[in-house]
Amino acid sequence: MKEAVDQIRSRLKEQNIDVPEEEISARLGMLIEKFRVPEGEARRSVLNYFLKEHGVVPTARSSTEKVKISEITSAGRWVDLEAKVLDLWEPANDSISQTGLIGDGSGSIKFVKWTRAGLPNLEAGKSYLLKNVVTDEYNGRFSVKLNRTSRIEPLETEVEAQAAGAGFQPTKELKVVEIEEPGRWIDLRVKVVQLWDSSSDSISQAGLIGDETGSIKFVKWARAELPDLAEGKSYLLNNVATDEFQGRFSVKLNRTSHIQELEEDIEVGSQSVEFSGALVDIQKGSGLIKRCPTCKRSLSKGICGEHGKVEGTYDLRIKAVLDDGRRVQDILLNRETTEHLVDMTLEEAKQMAMEALDHEIVRSSIENKLLGRYFSVKGPRVDRYILVEAIEEMAPIAEGDVDDIMHAVEAI
Amino acid sequence: MAGFSREVSRRVFAGELKSSNYAFRDGDPQHQYAPQYLLTPTGARCNRVFLVGTLTERDDIGGDTEYWRGRIVDPTGSVLIYAGQYQPEAAQILANIEPPAFVAVVGKPNLYQTDDGNVIISVRAEAIQEVDETTRNQWILDAARRTQERLKVLSTTGPAPVSEGFSTADQAQPASPAMDAERALDHYHTDIEHFRQMVIGALLSLKQDLGRPAGEVRSEPQFAPEAGPSEKKPDSSKGKAEGGARAKPKGNTLSGWPNEDKDEVEVFNLSKKS
Repeated sequence: MKEAVDQIRSRLKEQNIDVPEEEISARLGMLIEKFRVPEGEARRSVLNYFLKEHGVVPTARSSTEKVKISEITSAGRWVDLEAKVLDLWEPANDSISQTGLIGDGSGSIKFVKWTRAGLPNLEAGKSYLLKNVVTDEYNGRFSVKLNRTSRIEPLETEVEAQAAGAGFQPTKELKVVEIEEPGRWIDLRVKVVQLWDSSSDSISQAGLIGDETGSIKFVKWARAELPDLAEGKSYLLNNVATDEFQGRFSVKLNRTSHIQELEEDIEVGSQSVEFSGALVDIQKGSGLIKRCPTCKRSLSKGICGEHGKVEGTYDLRIKAVLDDGRRVQDILLNRETTEHLVDMTLEEAKQMAMEALDHEIVRSSIENKLLGRYFSVKGPRVDRYILVEAIEEMAPIAEGDVDDIMHAVEAI
Repeated sequence: MAGFSREVSRRVFAGELKSSNYAFRDGDPQHQYAPQYLLTPTGARCNRVFLVGTLTERDDIGGDTEYWRGRIVDPTGSVLIYAGQYQPEAAQILANIEPPAFVAVVGKPNLYQTDDGNVIISVRAEAIQEVDETTRNQWILDAARRTQERLKVLSTTGPAPVSEGFSTADQAQPASPAMDAERALDHYHTDIEHFRQMVIGALLSLKQDLGRPAGEVRSEPQFAPEAGPSEKKPDSSKGKAEGGARAKPKGNTLSGWPNEDKDEVEVFNLSKKS
C-alpha cells in the first residue's frame, strides 16, 4: 500500500500537484478497505480523483508515431497517417462534420471528423498528413477519428493509394435474413414492399424492401442522387451499406450504390421470429375497435380511409410494445389471441364498453392485465410488427437463473 | 434515424439511477425535439426507463391540480416517481394503488439541479401498473443482466485519458455501447467495483427472496388486490422483504455513495417546492 501511495504521489508530482501522503493513503485505504475496491482499480481511482480535484484532465499519452493503415490493429492509439481521401460519405449525424474512406499503399480505413474538432474539410482525391488521430474499433473494424487535438496538413505529393473499394471487402450478394452486422457493403435482390414519408430533407426515399427471407428498412440519401424506387417493383441494389439502430438493421443507399430494375417479381416472405421482453405500452387503437366491412381497415371516428363513412363491424385487438432493455418490438395481436390472453371475448368487451358508455375501458382493462409484465411472443415479422401467433407470460425466475447472472457479474 | 423508432426503456437499478448526474440532448442541442438522455455511471443512455419495485409511499403533493409522487424501492435503493395532469392515466392509477405494493413503471428520467448544485434524479411516469412479485423478481434479474452487460463493456473500455479529445464533447456522437461507456467513464470515473457489488447485492437479496416460501405462495395476488398489503406485512417483519429492504440497502448505499444522504434531504425540499 505504501508503494501504491508513493506511486500515485509521484504521478501527481509530474503534473505539479502536491498532495500530502496522508490524504492519498486515507483515500486509497478507504477505497480498498471500506469499499473493497481491488488495489489496481483503487490506485487509478485515487489518481483520477486528485487529478480531477486539481482541475487536470488526464492527458498523459505517449507522442504519436507515423503508421501505415495496415498497421492499425488496435483501438485507442494515437497515430499520424499520410493518406489520400478515397471517398466521402454522408455523415449520419450532426456531430460528424465529415466521414469517408482514406487510403495509403497498405490499405484503406474509415475516418470520422467530429464537428467539434473545428478542423478544415478534406477533399476527395487529395492527400494529407493527418496528425494525432485516434484509432477506434467497432465490431472488429477499425477507423480513425479526427478530433480537436488532431491536425491536418495537405501534402504536395500524392499518396499512392488503392482505389476506393479495392482494399475494401468486395460486396457480396446477401439475403435479407443474412444481414447481421452494420457497416458491411452488400448487394441485395429485393422488392419494394412499402415506401414511407421521408422525415428529413437529407433522405430522398425510405421504406421497406424484402426478399423471400424477410424484409428490412432502407434509406436512400438525397445526396446519393439515385433514381427513385417504385413500390411493388423488384431491383438489384449494388453496394449498399448495412446499418444498425437499437438492434434493428437497415440498409443505406448512397452515392456509391447502384440501382438496377429487375424483370422478375421477387416474392417477399417473412420468417417466424421470437421476442421476449417487458410489455411497456398498450397503444391507441387497442381493445375494442371497428373495422370497415369492405377493406377491414380500422375506422377512425366511424370513417374508413378508403371508403368514407361506413357502418363498421366490431373487432378486438392489441397493438403493444415489448421492450427487452436493448430494443423495442411492436406486436399485433388479433382477436383470437387477444381473447385468449386477456380472457375476455369480443361479446364481453362489447358489453363492458356498452355499460361504461366508453370503448376506452376495454383498452384500460387490457392495460391493467398486461402492462409491466414479461412476455414471449412468436410470429412472422411484417414491417415493424410481429404478428403474434403465440404469446405467453415468461416463466418465474429460478435460482439457477440468478446463479447464471451472478457468475457473469463475478467474471467482470 | 431515431425518428422512426420508439426509445428503449433501459433497466437501471435505483442505486445507479440516483448517482447519475449527466444529461444531454442528442443531435442538435438547440432543437426542441432532440431527445434528451440521462447517461448513468455504467453507461446506460436513458431516454426512458422501466422499473419494477415496491411502492412504499405515494402522496398528492399538488395544489389545485393533482400531482402524485411515489417512492419505488428496489434492492439497491429508492427513486421518486411523479405523475401529474400531463400523465392523467398514470396519475389516476398511482392514486388508486395502496402502498406497499409491487408496481411496474415506464417513464422518463428527469434531472433536476438545485440552486446549490445538487442533482436529483426522478422519473416522470408514462405508465404505471400494479404487478406481482414474480414480475418484480423477473425485473431484478433483468436489471442485473443489463447492468452486468454495461459493466462488462466498461471494464474493457480504455481509460479516460485516451478519449479526452472527443468524449468530453457535449454533443452526441453516434450511439454505441462502447461509446456510451467511454463517455460514462470520462464523466464519472466510474468505480466499476461499486456497481458490481451493487448488482451482486441485488442478486443475493433476490436469491434470499426466492428461498422464502412466501414468495411462491404469492404467485397470483394481482387479482386479489385487497390481499396484497396483508400478505406483504409478514415479510416486512422478517426484515428481508421490500418494506424492510428499503431500510437495509439504504444503509449500504449510504456508505457506497456518500452523496446519498444529501440527495435525500434535497428530494424532500424539492417536493415541498413543487
